[in-house]
Amino acid sequence: MKKLVVLVLLLALISVSTVSVFAAGQGETGKDKPIKLGGVWPLSDITGKQGSEAAQQAVDEINAAGGVLGRPLELIILDSEFKPEKGAAAIERLATVENVDIFLGGMASSVHLGQIPILKKYKKLTVWTGAASHLAEEAIGEDADWYFHLHPWDYEQGGSYVDGWKAIVNKYSEIKVDKWFLAYEEGAFGSASFEASKVLFSEMGKFDGESFKSAAAGGGDYKAVLQHAKESNPDIFLWAGYGADALPLLQQSKAVGFEPALYVGAPPGWPADFGNSPLAEDVFLYGMWAPSMNSINPVSKKFYDGFVAKYGTKPATYFAPLSYSAVYLIKDAIERAGSMDTAALIKAMEQSEYKSALGETITFKPSKIIKHQGIEGQKILQWQNGRQEIIWPFDFSTASPVYPFPGWDNR
Amino acid sequence: MTKAKRLILLGGIIIFALLIILWRPTILIYGIQRAGLYAAIALPMALVLGIVHIVNLAHGELLMIGAYLTYFVCSTFGMDPLVAMLPVSAVMFLLGMVVYKVTIKHTLKAPELNQLILTFGLAMVFGQSVNLIATSQPRTLSVDYVSTSLTFGKLTFGVYDFIFPVAALIILGGLLFFLRKTRVGKAAQAVGQNPKGAEIVGIDVDKIYLIIFSLSTALVGIMGSLYLTKQSIFPLVGGPYTMKSFALVAMAGIGNLPGVLFASLILGVAETFLLSFKGYGGWSNIVFFAFIIIVILIRSHRGKQI
Repeated sequence: MKKLVVLVLLLALISVSTVSVFAAGQGETGKDKPIKLGGVWPLSDITGKQGSEAAQQAVDEINAAGGVLGRPLELIILDSEFKPEKGAAAIERLATVENVDIFLGGMASSVHLGQIPILKKYKKLTVWTGAASHLAEEAIGEDADWYFHLHPWDYEQGGSYVDGWKAIVNKYSEIKVDKWFLAYEEGAFGSASFEASKVLFSEMGKFDGESFKSAAAGGGDYKAVLQHAKESNPDIFLWAGYGADALPLLQQSKAVGFEPALYVGAPPGWPADFGNSPLAEDVFLYGMWAPSMNSINPVSKKFYDGFVAKYGTKPATYFAPLSYSAVYLIKDAIERAGSMDTAALIKAMEQSEYKSALGETITFKPSKIIKHQGIEGQKILQWQNGRQEIIWPFDFSTASPVYPFPGWDNR
Repeated sequence: MTKAKRLILLGGIIIFALLIILWRPTILIYGIQRAGLYAAIALPMALVLGIVHIVNLAHGELLMIGAYLTYFVCSTFGMDPLVAMLPVSAVMFLLGMVVYKVTIKHTLKAPELNQLILTFGLAMVFGQSVNLIATSQPRTLSVDYVSTSLTFGKLTFGVYDFIFPVAALIILGGLLFFLRKTRVGKAAQAVGQNPKGAEIVGIDVDKIYLIIFSLSTALVGIMGSLYLTKQSIFPLVGGPYTMKSFALVAMAGIGNLPGVLFASLILGVAETFLLSFKGYGGWSNIVFFAFIIIVILIRSHRGKQI
């Protein structure tokens, strides 16, 4: 009797399992089966948080319009936690457990260096919005047909800054950039910026600089370096640090009476509410996008309005429209390819001409090493009336530069 | 130290200060301001270490929480941060009570390693919690008066940062008055010197620990408010100050509150001295650790002589 009961239960279990697998299988085939995108971002950072949110926004818009090839997109988001090993593990999980079709995401170069060996293992179509370091480009190599890089490399960024300032000086003859001073955070980011800038900007004039300890690393007292900058009397003062340094640098500049004609900040991100400070007025910055783009670019406006409506907050970093663009690039490529075959997708991606929210029409060209580089430079912007205005490239310009930087007593 | 030696030391300090004023007065000005910040943050840790005898590795994170609370109050209610520090200190006092009752109290008789691990865990929990709530994006308050400056001839320097040495002096004066002149303070000193003896004579040791820990948390919360006026804040902002505070307290000697001020002054002036030389700013990070090593070696040598 006991044996009979066990046998009946076993048969019931097998039947239920078979039906479940069959039912699941039915749901997973054909038009209902989602196209899976696997995204890795540093979710505790504003760049990763908003980058992933913007990607999800794009996925939701595409699905609301009927999906791609009649199939919905599904975005699986994992956190790299800014750690190379976590970023690598995330790629591994997306490839093996989640079985995604395409990889996207990214911010920090150091994390991406950890992910690259895993990406190379699976060779899935990858559309990467992060990593500026040329070391990442070297690690990817020239044979990675499946790799499409959106963010400009560091040397491309530097080149764009030189082009930008040359163009600005050419157009606005009153602006002088004969003498440069770069205050840079003493870590890898700042030091690399200084070394690269020394080479790039030396052709434009006399170049000097000094390091400081960033607030992000326990510092935050810039008076000494600002005093030296003041003694140097530069035409253009730049600082390369982190968002935490932005306002204190201005406050301490005012305190020591340092008011250069051009004041330029180059952090990866700016603090919340920075633009609301009167000290921020007429500070120049480097970036790839600003909300002011909405007035000249309908894609930017669509992205911006959709982001605000969905999340109740404004996009504060260019990684948001960059991630948004990545998803639409993928969507267009899948439609052109007509299938999810990797070779067909790669060919379709190579044909991309996407009018992005960042202003550029994104196409892919070879950079120094890789075959598929999207955006090749940054923009020069300026805080005006609490808003980031685009000064250069002039094709995307939303305002003329305010020069010189107004004295502290005049704000 | 004999009176003669003290006079010689004082004379040396005055001559050094005069030379600095003549050569680069900003070294002394900024050195004192920097020293004030270090001292004002370190004094609450010195209080806890001297009375409760635990090293609070979450000290910097409590500074960070005070700063975030102040940011929240200021951005929600439009309050000035110097006004907001009053309700923030009250909230931080309550937080200190909760932290003590729920965690610290239960490890006081445990080995010191357990206490270190506990406070380290608290630091991680506080840091990550704020990170999840507020993300890592720096927050800044724009306050006009922090850029106030004075000009004498060619010399222009910021004056707002003198708020830190003033705060340090007020905290030190307040704590010394509390410990020497009030009943609870005298009881706290007794507990700090000999908890078992204090218990025998009828002092409620647990209550004293609670008050001291909560007071320390409130004070570091006030410093968080002041810190926010000058710096951007983010979840990891407090960590470096835990290390610096501990080192200053170690340099001064456990229980030596005025010594923390003196140690901070040496450190502040030494750092700004090095920073005044273009290109040598990186050495200012080393001077901090060099001082700790020198002080510990001197103490060890004196200990051997005794």
